[in-house]
Amino acid sequence: MRDTLYLAWRYLAFHRVKTGILVAAITLIVFLPVGLRVIVDQSSRQLTARAEATPLAIGAKGSPTELTLNTLYFSSDVPARTTYAAASEVTATRLASAIPMYVRFRVRGQPIVGTTLEYFGFRGLRIAEGRQIAVLGDAVLGSRAAERLGVGTGGHVISSPESVFDIAGVYPLRMPVVGVLEFSDSADDDAVFVDVKTAWVIEGLGHGHQDLSQPEASSGVLRREGNVVVGNASVMQYNEITPDNIDSFHFHGDLSDFPLTAVIAVPPDQRSSALLQGRYQSAELRQVVSPSEVMDELLDTILTVEKFVIAGAVTVGLATLATAFLVFALSLRLRRRERETLFKIGGSRSAVATVMTSEIVGVLAVGVLLALLLTFLTQRYGDVIIRTLIR
Amino acid sequence: MIRIDGLRFSYGEGDFRLWIPELAVEAGTTTAFIGPSGSGKTTLLNLIAGIIRPETGRVETRNVEVSGMSDEERRRFRITTVGLVFQEFELLEYLTVLDNILLPYRIHSALTLDSAVRERAGSLAERVGISDKLGRHPRRLSQGERQRVAVCRAVLTDPPLLLTDEPTGNLDPVNRERVLDILFDYVKESGTTLVSVTHDHEILPRFGRVVDFREFHSFGEAGVASGNRAEDRANGGAS
Amino acid sequence: MLSRTKFTGVALVCAIAACGGPAPDSDVEAGADTSTPDAAAALLVYTTNYPLAYFAGRIGGDRVQVEFPTPPGIDPAYWTPSAGEVEAYQQADVVLLNGAGYEGWVAKTSLAESKLVNTSAGFQDLYIVAEEAVLHTHGPEGEHEHENVAFTTWLDPQLAIEHARAIRDVFAERLPGAEPDLQSAFAVLERDLGEIDARLEAWAEAAAGQPLLASHPVYQYLARRYDLNLRSVHFEPDEVPVTGGWRDLAALMQGHAADWMLWEAAPLEEVRDRLASDYGVGSVVFDPCGNRPDSGDYLATMRANVEALEGLPAS
Repeated sequence: MRDTLYLAWRYLAFHRVKTGILVAAITLIVFLPVGLRVIVDQSSRQLTARAEATPLAIGAKGSPTELTLNTLYFSSDVPARTTYAAASEVTATRLASAIPMYVRFRVRGQPIVGTTLEYFGFRGLRIAEGRQIAVLGDAVLGSRAAERLGVGTGGHVISSPESVFDIAGVYPLRMPVVGVLEFSDSADDDAVFVDVKTAWVIEGLGHGHQDLSQPEASSGVLRREGNVVVGNASVMQYNEITPDNIDSFHFHGDLSDFPLTAVIAVPPDQRSSALLQGRYQSAELRQVVSPSEVMDELLDTILTVEKFVIAGAVTVGLATLATAFLVFALSLRLRRRERETLFKIGGSRSAVATVMTSEIVGVLAVGVLLALLLTFLTQRYGDVIIRTLIR
Repeated sequence: MIRIDGLRFSYGEGDFRLWIPELAVEAGTTTAFIGPSGSGKTTLLNLIAGIIRPETGRVETRNVEVSGMSDEERRRFRITTVGLVFQEFELLEYLTVLDNILLPYRIHSALTLDSAVRERAGSLAERVGISDKLGRHPRRLSQGERQRVAVCRAVLTDPPLLLTDEPTGNLDPVNRERVLDILFDYVKESGTTLVSVTHDHEILPRFGRVVDFREFHSFGEAGVASGNRAEDRANGGAS
Repeated sequence: MLSRTKFTGVALVCAIAACGGPAPDSDVEAGADTSTPDAAAALLVYTTNYPLAYFAGRIGGDRVQVEFPTPPGIDPAYWTPSAGEVEAYQQADVVLLNGAGYEGWVAKTSLAESKLVNTSAGFQDLYIVAEEAVLHTHGPEGEHEHENVAFTTWLDPQLAIEHARAIRDVFAERLPGAEPDLQSAFAVLERDLGEIDARLEAWAEAAAGQPLLASHPVYQYLARRYDLNLRSVHFEPDEVPVTGGWRDLAALMQGHAADWMLWEAAPLEEVRDRLASDYGVGSVVFDPCGNRPDSGDYLATMRANVEALEGLPAS
């Protein structure tokens, strides 16, 4: 057996190119549908897991998909804004705890997630180095965000302008990085977390400046009317919150009117969840979505597409397989003389058969092996592959 | 070594008929089969080796009735007892010279490839002058070199019977002489029985006996060759 | 040659075995951060001023561990905690807020909403809007005002009782089974505060609307409760007022002939002397007790405040 396998190996090695092409073809035929299935399966499980871990999301009326993707994955498609009042409303019902989310701005490519401390406990995020956000302006980075931005505890990040032409709009805020989170294998790794109030400062809803009622600020005063002091445009709006100027930071207007992209509602049980959802049925301004339902719908679409792709791959695969067997058949024909020689000099039936079929068996075996190996690697590193592709 | 009695063979279609009432080849002799194309020389070689079986009659090689054996038995017989050299060399293009020489030992369990065999292969290769080309593939050898490799393969098993079919048919005169020298030196040394089919009358003097197939073959259905005449020729042939 | 076959076979087996690969992603912890401590461990309570810390301690007793990290001598209403101090607050199970805009720093820090308790939420309609609100505007955005609500709510003992009541309710929620003890402790505190209230009421009646001065506008709730004829300047106990300040005082005293000025702490001697000599105004200390007193506790300080008032000769 060993000897005939040696001969088989020699044949395959001598016809390197032909063998290589056939092996590659077999590998692809087997791996493509399987690998695709593995990747889709893994990614849908990941997506579903995160969606299932997020009971309810409340936002302004609009696309549920946009709301879900922005809240769960911090996508750059920002849904219509709701207000902070939505969070207070949820808390007031006593049916769920509310976690406000304002995901609008970015630091280069990384999303800035304005939220509250509860979010970290909710997602099970832990500090790897440094500390948690404490003071207005503090930023805590997900592990991948820290890598990408090349910054760690003690460094700074600056929010990116929303558009090049935005002069009087959102202005860049320089924020100290006070901590970095442990790797959580989720979208949270890419985020720059700040307090939702810091996000409002980025938006321009809160600011600090020189106290205009003080004599030192006289150069910034346009006019005084009684006890109304009007500042002129030279009043410096800080783009960084420091211990020196934090006292002067303040918000104008009612916090309840300030914007949010979503409120994550965490009810303690099914009943509370149902009751809470019921309250929003006839709501005019707001919608409540179940992220897992939204993701299921999304995944159904993906799975349907996947079915078509697999059907296509299988069809092509079968055609390729047929071609490969044609090649094998032609090979056998070409080797007729070799077979006769082996017979004539007295080779045993089994030995001759083994040598002749070595090509098919070898190619199939190696092809399937490689396909299995690729499948294993895909299973192992599939999520890394997905994330790299989605970038 | 070889005894043939009442042999009849045909290929089923066509006019070919082989009828050999009696033929004997002594061990240790060198015999040449000559005759016009299609007279059955190669066919008889195949019958002697057990590659094909007669319709009727007996073929006995080395006291073994080859014509009565099963296919597996004949293969085993062949690989252990018979060495074959072909006109077209029939080397495996994907094997090196060394692997081509060792081929018989890899295609039947009756033979075991061990270090003694490898040593013998090495010395045979040296003897025929190709030991520096053991790693090459046949396409990089000349005609003469290829036939020398084929000869090594044929004699590696130290077979008592060596059957060669037009061994020099594809060789130029220089290589022809060289390969024949190798063959005859070898058979003289080892006492191997040599039977060669050949068209080349120039090499006949080397053989101890010449069998002319015009005696055995009948063209068409009419007429049966006279067995007596063939036997006379055989008995009266040069020693 | 043998090794080649074996290698192929082993590799094939390995590949198949390895395909039963590692389990997919770990579960994500989910769960809102509403921590309830075990019955055995004390509830960790942080407050933003001393009166709340005192009330919490009185009501919760052994069941609570009360922390009030503002260093002594600093007015907690104007205190800005460091990041480390904010982190300490983040560890609390409950953070008691005074409300009415007292703890401005809370809006600039990250504390878990679920832990914050506004102890004056029950009487928001009773907040007093301070007169001296400074409005400011910025050119393009138009007018905004910073509403200055007076925040020394506890100086009205009835409101202090409401603060305490809110604290009792929070503790009852977080410490199930402790209601009876909490209630009885609250009742005792309520009685103590009621005693202060009664004495002040009696004194106010006797004082019968005599004009009074306050060095600083912190006594709004006190004034409202007892219908005091009280006006404020902006003096600091540890500072000498600027010339403008004395002028404001003089202007204020036109038509408001007060004999006494309430101080949060003992004023500088020269200030007290000048007040007495130039303006005929005596100084009396009524410590709001926003932060820990040097000696004694909240109740002792309030009693001392009452005694100081009671000790004033009738005009």
